[in-house]
Amino acid sequence: MRTRTTRLTTAAAAAALLGLAACSNGADSGDVSLSIVQSGDGQQGGALQHMADLYEEETGVQIDVVEVPNADLRTRLRNSAQAEDLPAMAFSPNIDPVWTDQMLDLTEISESAGFYPELNLEDPNDGLIKSLPSTLTAVGMFVNVDLWEEAGVEFPTTLEEEWSWDEFVDAATEVVDSTDAEFGLVMDSSAHRLRAFLHQFGSKSVWLEDGEAVTSPETATALEYFYDMHDSGFMPRSVWTAGDDPSATFKSGRVAAYYSGSWQIADFEETVTEFEWMSVPMPQQPVRATNYGQASAFVAFDGTGVEEETLDFAEWFYSAENYEIYCEMSRCLPPMEGLDIDYGDNAYAFEIYNGEIAASSGLFELQHIKHMRSNYLGTAVDSEPLQDETVRYLNDEITLDEAIENILTVTTETREG
Amino acid sequence: MVTDVTNRPRSGSASAKAAPPRRVISRWLTFRRSVLPTATLWVLVTLMGFPLLWFLLSSVKHPGELFSFPLTFFPREWSLDGYQRAWERLDFVQYFTNTLIVASVTTFLTVFLCAAAGYALAKYKNPWLAVFGLCILTMTMLPGEIMLNPMFVVVRDLGMYNSLWGVIMPSIVTPTGVFMFRQFFVSVPDELIDAARIDGARELSIFFRIMIPLAKPILLTLAVISFQWRWNDYIFPLIILSDPDRFTLQIALRTLIGAENIDWSILLAASVISMIPLVVIYLVFQRYITSSNLSAGLKD
Repeated sequence: MRTRTTRLTTAAAAAALLGLAACSNGADSGDVSLSIVQSGDGQQGGALQHMADLYEEETGVQIDVVEVPNADLRTRLRNSAQAEDLPAMAFSPNIDPVWTDQMLDLTEISESAGFYPELNLEDPNDGLIKSLPSTLTAVGMFVNVDLWEEAGVEFPTTLEEEWSWDEFVDAATEVVDSTDAEFGLVMDSSAHRLRAFLHQFGSKSVWLEDGEAVTSPETATALEYFYDMHDSGFMPRSVWTAGDDPSATFKSGRVAAYYSGSWQIADFEETVTEFEWMSVPMPQQPVRATNYGQASAFVAFDGTGVEEETLDFAEWFYSAENYEIYCEMSRCLPPMEGLDIDYGDNAYAFEIYNGEIAASSGLFELQHIKHMRSNYLGTAVDSEPLQDETVRYLNDEITLDEAIENILTVTTETREG
Repeated sequence: MVTDVTNRPRSGSASAKAAPPRRVISRWLTFRRSVLPTATLWVLVTLMGFPLLWFLLSSVKHPGELFSFPLTFFPREWSLDGYQRAWERLDFVQYFTNTLIVASVTTFLTVFLCAAAGYALAKYKNPWLAVFGLCILTMTMLPGEIMLNPMFVVVRDLGMYNSLWGVIMPSIVTPTGVFMFRQFFVSVPDELIDAARIDGARELSIFFRIMIPLAKPILLTLAVISFQWRWNDYIFPLIILSDPDRFTLQIALRTLIGAENIDWSILLAASVISMIPLVVIYLVFQRYITSSNLSAGLKD
């Protein structure tokens, strides 16, 4: 019996080792193969894979789409750089000093693609454009149409119809009072969303002047308004102060409106089936504004041995004809004007987003460009004092004045001018 | 209430007087000693099983139902759409194979090397062995995160980056396993080894033919624990493996969690699928797994 067990164990180990040997590291042979690392949801991942298949059909060059967990993409690229095993390309959430000196120059592709001017992010060290926006992401608002219709309350559906935050709160409160809705609004717990909210109150959020963080009085007005919406129960306190999932809260069908962003459209198309939802213009008090930026940065790496093929793919991918296909499939906003993208039934929603983006340019530069520049200079930090201190304010740990003072102090200490 | 135990001496005969007193267990005692604990345990089982059942049932709900209010325990509309999409999105066969290779090979080598090291530490007398044992003991006190970077550098410099060997090699010798075996072998009488030596057995024979069979319970315990550790390992495969063809299951599952939103329908289904092999292993080896869990609290 013992002998039989020993034999079985040995055979199993041998089989495993053989399998292991088959899976061990080895150089690719034959045709050219390029790998691109990204972290996309089903829609984006599927769209990129589709583009890879198209490219292989046209050119014979194989593109391997490598999905990496979003939270660990940064770690992954860092380790790859340290192991001198960087992929040919990546859609990275940020630029990392560990590999900035291995990025290929993409200036020509950037110029031919025709991105919004503010998205042409140059490396401050050498003036070259080494990263391209993957897609555009913008803050926006959704409503639960069933609840609003049940309450008999109207809402704007085009950019021509404007509403203020006061009008929105009154209308949504009426919806809550007339239906079994529990909240008037839910907002993602994110500084990105909060900046858009501040912009709509006329604030430019927080910016640096001579190395010191400053803000305008409208910031206090907006934050106080935000506090009141939580204090009155119009917004659920659990999302901002306890990390509750805002998307799930909205999907429960008991919230009149959801302050989130364009990335939700693809998900809602698949997962919201219990009620009708709609993308609507955001309130303005009195400023029409959104906050937008590149979803991630397309970067290509030097030293992979396939640099030329990589640049060829990047040029092909960012051509209008191909990028339109990518946007249609991934349901995302393009980072350049003039594309003819068929979004199907939700085309109106993307028109609203594009309109809000067009009305907001200029604000973007204050927030996003400086952040990306910090990435290149290696001075970017992960902390979001605007969000952190707002949560403390909502929790009544500090007063409004203390919150603003802390935001400015921490921003001055951590941000590069 | 007083416990109702009564002595009932039979009247009349002498034999009746000699019979020992008979204990009659009342219904209340039965209830208190048997029914109540059993019922309590069933309540606890239900409480523990409820989230699992909710998880399983949620995986067959339509995506639109997952967050709808009021929440329902059973699906209004049964759907295997999540499973279908999860299967299409992830190459489960590849990830299962990779994970199985890593977990099996690591477990096999871990058990063998830990047994050998534990035996040497317990039965051989050498001052350096004591120092070596102290070093191993010190390792158990270090958080894994501290060793992550040096291990990555070693694996990279040995040319094992992006290979399954790179994941396996650093995980083989666990200080916990060495100490489990050391503590066991210390309890084995030295006379047994001396007797074997007098009978002409060589050192390797003593180890393989006497000590290893004796250590079977500890061997199986470590095997089960090691397999679970490696099956669920995430961080090390993440930093070592870059080729998706070599990804393990845990890395693949994490790719389903996006930056801004999560497709819960796919994630739930994929999580259920990923559990199946371990559940099968549990059903086959549940006796050993139960005993290994008595050693709960061990450190990877």
